[in-house]
Amino acid sequence: MTDVADVADVADAADVADVADVAATIDLTKPAAGPAEIVRAEKVKVRFGRTDVLCGIDLTVRAGEVCCLIGPSGSGKTTFLRCVNHLQRISAGRLWVSGELVGYRQRGERLYELKESEVARRRAGIGMVFQRFNLFPHLTVLGNVVEAPIRVRREPKAEVRERAMDLLGRVGMASFADAYPGRLSGGQQQRVAIARALAMRPELMLFDEPTSALDPELVGDILDIMRGLAADGMTMLVVTHEIGFARDVADQIVFMDGGAVVEHGPPAAVLDDPSHERTRSFLSKVR
Amino acid sequence: MSTDARAASREAVASQEAATSQAVDPDAIIAVPVRHPGRWAASVVLAVLLAMAVHSLVANPRFQWHVVGQYLFSEQVLRGLWTTLYLTAIAMVIGVVLGVVLAIMRMSPNPLVAGSGWLYISVFRGTPVLVQLIFWNFIAAIYPRLSLGVPFGPEFVSGNANDLVKPITAAILGLGLNEAAYMAEIVRAGILSVDPGQHEAATALGMNRMLAMRRIILPQAMRIIIPPTGNETISMLKTSSLVSVIAITDLLYSVQIVYSRTYQTIPLLIVASLWYLAATSVLTVGQFYLERWVGRGHNHHRTESSPWRRYLALLVSLRAPKERTP
Repeated sequence: MTDVADVADVADAADVADVADVAATIDLTKPAAGPAEIVRAEKVKVRFGRTDVLCGIDLTVRAGEVCCLIGPSGSGKTTFLRCVNHLQRISAGRLWVSGELVGYRQRGERLYELKESEVARRRAGIGMVFQRFNLFPHLTVLGNVVEAPIRVRREPKAEVRERAMDLLGRVGMASFADAYPGRLSGGQQQRVAIARALAMRPELMLFDEPTSALDPELVGDILDIMRGLAADGMTMLVVTHEIGFARDVADQIVFMDGGAVVEHGPPAAVLDDPSHERTRSFLSKVR
Repeated sequence: MSTDARAASREAVASQEAATSQAVDPDAIIAVPVRHPGRWAASVVLAVLLAMAVHSLVANPRFQWHVVGQYLFSEQVLRGLWTTLYLTAIAMVIGVVLGVVLAIMRMSPNPLVAGSGWLYISVFRGTPVLVQLIFWNFIAAIYPRLSLGVPFGPEFVSGNANDLVKPITAAILGLGLNEAAYMAEIVRAGILSVDPGQHEAATALGMNRMLAMRRIILPQAMRIIIPPTGNETISMLKTSSLVSVIAITDLLYSVQIVYSRTYQTIPLLIVASLWYLAATSVLTVGQFYLERWVGRGHNHHRTESSPWRRYLALLVSLRAPKERTP
């Protein structure tokens, strides 16, 4: 029942046929117009009961771009991030990842909910790093990294292990391959979590305040790894309070407040010359 | 075994070194330790009570220890013990497997599935297992013919219930299905104890519900599930003695058959008790190792050493030569 209502909402929120046409035009006739859109959000809303947690987010992230979401707590940054891999269902609007609608399939004017297996398959292509790491405590470091490629993608074990050791080496954790996560520091756990997400060869990485639960000393290591990823051309959507990191690495900064995008643009514009009073007051406090 | 001993001796040496360095430390505190008269008094009282108990066991001829010795390893009793053990094992396997299924059913988003699980658990937990055993034994009185086929349609196989459900089947069904209801609640508590972030991380990696449950959630829930399951197994070993009412020759019923003939009730009950005690002791030791294994990765400190290794360490430290002291 609620699904029908959702679909109706969605149909109200955006002109379905138009949007599909525009997307088709971009994908098919103008492939050289610039890097492909990896994330595209149009008027995305999330409602919990009567409160609007997100009230109409518009956002585009292109391939190879780093987009940082900043803003006060409760502004909906994390909720939006969770919408991108469908951990959170959207109530209205449209959200695409790599040209495919998130959570739905469109035939003509009608939306069909995706099956669990289809949602899972699409999530597999999106890496996510959590604030609290969420490593699997009953598996070793290596076990954490190889689990999904072997069980979800059914790739050959030997190949996956080799790739996993490469990734662990890249985040400086190769010598801890056989340790259990419980014995690692927060910073080490987060490095393993990044390797675990990368092992699925994602085309998009989501970071949900990856340094907020870390000792200040360890924040730098994680940010350096993320810088490296960005330099290698990974498309990244990062929720962060590290304004310095955002300034250095982001191609685009989105400032959110109260479930809406207040301001967005290149770091120089948003951070150094914000046009909204709300942005100015937020930045004056976090600096 | 040899690695155990080596590790134990290494531990002993380490503790000795620590002790030596403490003794050498010039700032080490030297003080008169606190006296504990209460502990001494309690020890004396307990020692006297223990001596009285041992004395009565030995001196009272009505225990008839020679009869205990005579029947302890008799074939009849051992066969009864075997029945008790395999009844416990099968009932627990049914209980655990069905319990996991019921726990997952109860947490299903489908209200009908969740409701069915809830109904099963309330019925089987809400009636005495003794009554259930007798019910299963008399199943033929309710359903004289059992058959397998299309609901309200043709039957493929059918048979006389009395032939299909023998007393031993009734015992297995009665104990196993009852246990499943208890295990379901234990498993559910275990699953609920796992951090929701674990499910989220598994889902974000593209795992579906069942895969995440099997590979990520259940292995972690095990840490919570195993200790009460061990208790349930030990409890089942003893509860299985109820099957004597449906004439299964388990451990208890075997000795009952003997003493109804010889009137040596007390010594034969001691025989049964000794075997129950021996079996539960073995299970307790097994439970320790199982708990340590499922807790791996969760102990932030060094893994708890086993009683065996602690015993070895004690032996080694008692015999430890002092040559290492410079």
